[in-house]
Amino acid sequence: MLTVEAKNVDFYYSDFHALKNISLEVEKNKVVAFIGPSGCGKSTFLRILNRMNDLIDGTRMTGSVLIEGEDIYAPNVRVDELRKKVGMVFQKPNPFPKTIFENIAYGLRVNGIKDNSFIEQRVEESLKSAALWDEVKDKLKKSAFALSGGQQQRLCIARALAISPKVVLMDEPASALDPISTAKIEELIYELKKDYTIIIVTHNMQQASRVSDKTAYFYLGELIEYDDTTKIFTNPQKESTQNYITGRFG
Amino acid sequence: MKRFLEKLAEGALLLSGSITSITILLIVLFLFKEASGLFRSPVIEEGYVIALNKANTVKSLSSYEIKEIFDGEISNWAELGGKDEAIEVVRLSDLTNYYTEEELGAEFENIPAKASELTASHPGIVLFLPKQYLAKKFDGITLDKETIHPGDFFGGKEWYPTASPSAQFGLLPLLLGTLWVSLGAILLSLPFGIAVAVYLAEIATMRVRNILKPIIELLAGIPSVVYGFFGLVVLVPFLQKIFQLPVGETALAGSVVLAIMALPTIITVAEDAMRTTPRAMKEASLALGATHWQTIYKVIIPYSKSGITSAAVLGIGRAIGETMAVLMVTGNAAVIPHTLLEPVRTIPATIAAELGEAASGSAHYQALFALGCILFLITMVLSISVEFISKKQK
Repeated sequence: MLTVEAKNVDFYYSDFHALKNISLEVEKNKVVAFIGPSGCGKSTFLRILNRMNDLIDGTRMTGSVLIEGEDIYAPNVRVDELRKKVGMVFQKPNPFPKTIFENIAYGLRVNGIKDNSFIEQRVEESLKSAALWDEVKDKLKKSAFALSGGQQQRLCIARALAISPKVVLMDEPASALDPISTAKIEELIYELKKDYTIIIVTHNMQQASRVSDKTAYFYLGELIEYDDTTKIFTNPQKESTQNYITGRFG
Repeated sequence: MKRFLEKLAEGALLLSGSITSITILLIVLFLFKEASGLFRSPVIEEGYVIALNKANTVKSLSSYEIKEIFDGEISNWAELGGKDEAIEVVRLSDLTNYYTEEELGAEFENIPAKASELTASHPGIVLFLPKQYLAKKFDGITLDKETIHPGDFFGGKEWYPTASPSAQFGLLPLLLGTLWVSLGAILLSLPFGIAVAVYLAEIATMRVRNILKPIIELLAGIPSVVYGFFGLVVLVPFLQKIFQLPVGETALAGSVVLAIMALPTIITVAEDAMRTTPRAMKEASLALGATHWQTIYKVIIPYSKSGITSAAVLGIGRAIGETMAVLMVTGNAAVIPHTLLEPVRTIPATIAAELGEAASGSAHYQALFALGCILFLITMVLSISVEFISKKQK
């Protein structure tokens, strides 16, 4: 079953043609990695999937994106509803200046959930799925800023999971973290794909090969190659992909 | 050579910094020095004396008590803790009620003797006399050493700086007038200012913002007397008509004018604070399915709380210190206000209106400086709290 289905997506920042005719499909409960040199459009494409680019003035998109069969760019789509289905974890940990508990509860509260016992239950579940529960269960009332960078990032993942999304987008989630925290995040991604479809943007090719089932290689706004991860890293079809993964540029 | 020039520039900068600081300190010092003279000034009008009967157990009178006695509000010594004896007020001109003109002498040369005699023979007397008519061996108690008590100033409910025999320098009506007008101004301008700031920071498109922001900032550049003029010509008659008032010059008129004047400050500061909300915070909220409005009141406003507080405090600061516009529209009655629809007089307006007619060095003059000190202290507390709030944010 296809969770994400992008067809002929073109994207412009004012005059700059950032994405050129991208078509790509993601199956349910798979991890897909987007790789490519800086400015290749992989993050832009990721942000198309939850319409985060809508926030930037002067952008324009053509083509269509279907998530679970629904066109997310159709005029009657409510963006806030879409983003409940498609969660996002950002490059830098960005917890709110609130307590750990309130950070997780935020997504539930803005969705109009008032039942406190349900919120408490979801907070615990999400923290457990983000492998953070044991570390923070005694300090849920403490500020989220008291956590380390890696813990903050797992908190942000837990926050995204709390509203039970179908797809989780991760924009270089480990690039600001130390190797141990990175390893934890990668382990977590592996666990999470049982329940979620995950799309991860990364600069780190080892990471892509470790965590993903499929890998998409972007270059200069084009999708050069998209295939099983093992194939991309052992037997790429395009020369550009070969050059990038062997570190000749990028 | 280059090094020398650099040293020279450094020295010049240090010098200008020190001079500025010293000047400010000197101004403050001058302010407090002049003001402190108030509490060394006599309670009774310069050159006069108040005399009581020797047997009177009341040995001192505050300026408020003197005023009440001469206004006939206090008529028995028992009210002042003395014996049960009717108070008999005698001014210089009243002496003719007790003595004939012959007795007082053609050149009034007998007044000192007669005044002494009268004081000695009337147990309930209060005699108010120019010092020149005080006999060498006066038979009674004279109250001329009394100085104005801090309580009379800080707790005084009346401001009659030209009252005779004892001027009233009560801070309360002016302080309350200032606070009422400022409070009204901030209540009007804060919700409106924050609303505009939210609109400019979050909702308006770039183009609308680029048009509106300079216009709002332009408001800050209009001289206050022009606001006062606007208030007097437009606002005052309008309020008078709407509320069916005998006079339109009220605390409310002052509040509205001040609110308009404080708006640019509040909008600019609050908007800047909101725009500093990290993009990551906004995106985090939106990515969790929050709507734009939810993001505004759950993330952006809490995040910029201290900026908004600073905006409010700066707005209040502007309102409290404002002189001209308020002087023009508030009616300037130095009475303790009970509603916003009464004329009031603020501290700065009092200073501006009265300094010209107060004799230099007089108690009135010093009282105005004391008012200046109060104003200085209020604004200092406000700026310290701004500093404190913005430090807390970091």
